[in-house]
Amino acid sequence: MSALDELRQLRRGGVQVRKRDNRAAFWFLAPWFAGLVFITVGPVLASFALGFTKYNLIQPPRFIGLDNFARVLSDERLHNALRVTFTYVLVSVPLQLACALGVALLLDRGLRGLPLYRSAFYLPSLLGSSVAIAVLWTQVFGTEGLVNRVLGLFGVEGRGWISDPDTALSTLIVLNVWTFGSPMIIFLAGLRQIPAVYYEAAAIDGASRWSQFWRITMPLLSPILFFNLVLQIIHAFQSFTQAFVVSGGTGGPSDSTMFYTLYLYQQGFSRFDMGYASALAWFLLLIIAAFTAVNFWAAKYWVFYDD
Amino acid sequence: MLTGSRRGTAWAVLLSLTASLLAACGSGSEAGGELTTEQVTLRFTWWGADDRHKRTQQVIDMFQKKHPNITVKGEFKEWNGYWDSLATTMAANDAPDIMQMDELYIASYAERGALLDLNEGKKHLDTSNFDDRALATGTIGGKRYGVPVGLGMYSIIANTDLLAKYDIPLPDDTKWSWDDLKRIGEQVTKASGGSVFGVQSPGINDAAGLSIRARQQGKAMFDADAKVALTQEVARDYWQYILDLTKSGAAPPPSVTIEKASAGLNQSATATGTAAFGLWWNTQLTALTAASGAKLKLLRLPGETQGVQPGAYYKSSMFWSVSARSKHPAEATAFVNFLANDEQAAEVLLTERGVPANRKIREAIGGRLKDTDKAAKEYLDTVPVSDPPRTTPNGASTLDTILKRHTEDVLFGRSTPDQAAASYIREVQSEVDAAR
Repeated sequence: MSALDELRQLRRGGVQVRKRDNRAAFWFLAPWFAGLVFITVGPVLASFALGFTKYNLIQPPRFIGLDNFARVLSDERLHNALRVTFTYVLVSVPLQLACALGVALLLDRGLRGLPLYRSAFYLPSLLGSSVAIAVLWTQVFGTEGLVNRVLGLFGVEGRGWISDPDTALSTLIVLNVWTFGSPMIIFLAGLRQIPAVYYEAAAIDGASRWSQFWRITMPLLSPILFFNLVLQIIHAFQSFTQAFVVSGGTGGPSDSTMFYTLYLYQQGFSRFDMGYASALAWFLLLIIAAFTAVNFWAAKYWVFYDD
Repeated sequence: MLTGSRRGTAWAVLLSLTASLLAACGSGSEAGGELTTEQVTLRFTWWGADDRHKRTQQVIDMFQKKHPNITVKGEFKEWNGYWDSLATTMAANDAPDIMQMDELYIASYAERGALLDLNEGKKHLDTSNFDDRALATGTIGGKRYGVPVGLGMYSIIANTDLLAKYDIPLPDDTKWSWDDLKRIGEQVTKASGGSVFGVQSPGINDAAGLSIRARQQGKAMFDADAKVALTQEVARDYWQYILDLTKSGAAPPPSVTIEKASAGLNQSATATGTAAFGLWWNTQLTALTAASGAKLKLLRLPGETQGVQPGAYYKSSMFWSVSARSKHPAEATAFVNFLANDEQAAEVLLTERGVPANRKIREAIGGRLKDTDKAAKEYLDTVPVSDPPRTTPNGASTLDTILKRHTEDVLFGRSTPDQAAASYIREVQSEVDAAR
């Protein structure tokens, strides 16, 4: 019996869910639920209230109305942080998805030892947002790092990639692109869902690989691509660790790696302005919501559902 | 009506009773009370490196032996994580009882009501062997929020091995100028063919260089009312100087300078022997000598005799502070007293936190110091100083990071020294204003 049949039977009331099971389920869910209420929902609501106050973490919050939100408009360093973050999201996500799709297509051709490759490519995704990798990055892109040594072999003079404001953000973009593993796994699963008969039929009709890709693979994969796009954009907006570690918490040099989240963090924990930080957090939520809404709206024009 | 208001009064009395009871429960004992004989636990936090952790733990053990009913739990971190974590624990009302405090932050915490006025615990704390001027650095608005631990002075640390190698004579530091430093720096870079630079550029990790130049001109970073007193001219000259150091080759290219700055003491140009001169604390001589393996010498700051007054001063390297919300303020104050006055403890701690600000302790450990520590102590005892600047005001704790960003902007040509000066003054002032 497939899962779908099971679901239908459940709906019809064919399977009796016993009350005792319900209670057990409740107890199993309780830890998660407690975590949700106390660790997520509570602070989220509190941060909304704090967004309207001046709160220095020690003295009680003081209500100041919409001042924090008004400051968003005039804060030039925040505008720079937005520029940096948008650049990061808009450059790194498409590149990352292109890499993920490219590698997924290669792996989908039935290589021997596929699980091994799959794991190897997935590994950076597990490590990517970790402190260890960010530390490694500072070594790789340092003045005496790996990149400069390789460039040196070709007689190219390197530079301090991370300590130069013109290139620091690029190193973080490369880091994000490198962690293409999780969208790749999803692409791979999506590719496996496309019936082979479509390709066989197309091949018999004389379609080239190129047109097979654009006429069969892309349309059928578009829901998966859409899913990855939404997810990775949200993920990229929330990036924090990489910039924090690589810049030593400063967002430097010259604010060139000042991600929105890092700026928010500095407002709250270095400047003790938790009210403004809370307002910024809610503003970020609006930005991400807007991006996601536009994504869903645009999806009508390019995502193809085969049912 | 009558019964109504009487009932109201009864309620009010009941409420205020409950409130006072709750308040009494909340604050625990008084700082001026007797030490308890019950079992209590104090939490003590500091920043630093391994060596400090070991020495501090030893001192904690000594204290616990003297006071078997008091347990002291040590919590330590490195500098950056320390302040993040302190801010969070303060907000969570979970601050450690005793903390190592810095000049940059003491006003920020004190003026937000987070620190205990140690005068309340006077009977447990002896400050008679401290210099009044040193004590004043931990006092804000007449209240004693911190006991100074060690004293330090800014100095130029010169690598005499490198100078000998390139046959460059050691400058006469009793009358050298900033231009001399630049000129000699250029000579070093030229003589080494670029493998060694003359000067490790200041102005990256802290505002010391800027503050010194202002003081030499008779100015200061802040005036008594916590307004920014730094002038456009001083700040502009300062950034122009750093830019000139880089352009003339006396200092390394900008990206190397910035990379070195965030890499910590052991990776610094002085520690790796890749720069002949650097601006450091006199007490860092020991650590830098160990890291570089070279012969290093403490020199007086340049420009000390060309201006109106010496820029050098005794800076409290750090303070011992007690949380205003400590449940055991008397015991915490007693522990601070032990750290500040106990000779056995001092023999373990030595000058690791700076040359002791306690004069009696300074004499007591004199015989046990290493050569480099002796040099640091001698520097402190002989070099002319002027009065210390006022404590960094509440809100200005970020002045070092703001300075770093402006230096980066100047070094990479994103703003001129003039623009950087104006922007720095404006931004620091707005930080102070915002904290009010």
